[in-house]
Amino acid sequence: MSDATARRRWVAWALVAAAAIGALAWAVARTRGLDEQTQATNPIFRWEYLLVRERTPEELWARTREHLELTVVPVVLGTVLSGVLAALVLRFRVLQGTVFTLAGVLYTIPSLALFGILSTYVSNWTSAVAALTTYTLLIITRNIVAGIDGVSPAALDAADGLGMGRRQRLLAVELPLATPVILTGIRVATVTTVGLVGISKVIQLGGLASYVFDGFNRDYSTLIILGSASMVLLAVVLDLALRGVERLLTPWARRAGAR
Amino acid sequence: MIGASEPTNVWQWLGDSSQRTVSGSIPEQLWATLWHSLLAFAIAAAIAIPIAAWLAHRRRAELISGWIVNIGRVIPTITLLGLFVLISLRNGYGFEPWPIVGALALLALPPLFANTYTAVREASPDAVAAARAVGLTETQVLTRVELPLAAPLIVAAGRVTLTQVVATEALGALFAGAGLGIYVRFGFASDDIQQIQAGALLVAGTAMAVDAVLWAGTRLLLPRWGPTPPGAGRGRQPLDLTTIQPQGGTP
Repeated sequence: MSDATARRRWVAWALVAAAAIGALAWAVARTRGLDEQTQATNPIFRWEYLLVRERTPEELWARTREHLELTVVPVVLGTVLSGVLAALVLRFRVLQGTVFTLAGVLYTIPSLALFGILSTYVSNWTSAVAALTTYTLLIITRNIVAGIDGVSPAALDAADGLGMGRRQRLLAVELPLATPVILTGIRVATVTTVGLVGISKVIQLGGLASYVFDGFNRDYSTLIILGSASMVLLAVVLDLALRGVERLLTPWARRAGAR
Repeated sequence: MIGASEPTNVWQWLGDSSQRTVSGSIPEQLWATLWHSLLAFAIAAAIAIPIAAWLAHRRRAELISGWIVNIGRVIPTITLLGLFVLISLRNGYGFEPWPIVGALALLALPPLFANTYTAVREASPDAVAAARAVGLTETQVLTRVELPLAAPLIVAAGRVTLTQVVATEALGALFAGAGLGIYVRFGFASDDIQQIQAGALLVAGTAMAVDAVLWAGTRLLLPRWGPTPPGAGRGRQPLDLTTIQPQGGTP
């Protein structure tokens, strides 16, 4: 990454942070000294729902936990399954077309349909986890295969020259070098899943998206915004966490400064 | 929902049109799904493709176009649908169709924009230099060289995006819109397993059919030009990891 790009990225982040702090300051300033009646005339977002209402923190936490659970379990399951699928593809190249076409077809099934059909056979929680796992397969499998395919032939030659066996080369050379691509896949799958969890509201789950649907049904936009903002926040936090993991796992990328 | 003879499986439900006196007939809802999706896609394409192509030609806004997909991925679909429908209701425009078309168009913007941007930017620099050397104007470079070279990727991205829009349209039903998702919603509302299953089959079948038709269409219509990577070294076929990552929201 060049210096100029790094500087611009830094400036962009600073702007985002400044905007966030500004919005928060504005919100706090508005909430103070506003009685309920004044707030009722500004019904897009009622801050007292978040800041004053006693049950909100507890409820918010419960829904966040449900959302987190419905994101993490499918992504972990999906990663394991994708590992198996990718191993199959890498070992038996003839399977590549079949595996990706199949994963692609599964990915095309709309989540509403999958939740609907599964829930008529198994429990709601199982349907949600199964459906959400399905959607991670395409993204993660593809990135594992592409990551390992992308390892430079020079590195492979070097590994062979050192007398590494197939397994050793995979574990010591190919997997570490493919880590950034694989983690990108997991990251994209995670962020996508955070959004999809919301649709599981149709089978009485839904996590934070319950706020969105409640808000819609009660014509109360505060709830829609609260639910959406927390979903966005959750996605961003998970994204940043996985970026952190990537930095920890690939210290050489920072030192070399280029990939 | 309680009639003289309750359907006992999906096929009976599908065959019995008296089940759909309230929710609307299948052709009617299929048509709603299709025109909502196509209109939303057309609006998004008309906005995103020209702007992205021009910005990519000028090498402007590189950072933002990198972020735009992430932003689109993070914003929940249901948020847009819920807010748009609510705002539309408060202003007297009703549940349908504008809020749903608008939300779908907004969802289709990021993938179209990002893929067009990348496609144009990655157009062979040699070809672009050659075009300039023979005296093409900047507009001609864009329309005669960069865009044709970028076309396969843009069309592929369009196919993925349109399929996604069709799939997402089903969610409009959760916010009181028309479209095939309505059977799923009615089914859940009345605990009608046959209706849920039938609705799910219709929604999934439509999305897959649209994807298949578009796939066949692009295969037939697009000339296959551009460099084909040789299966280089060590017998490995590089996997095509283009930027057409199916983008967030709702598959």
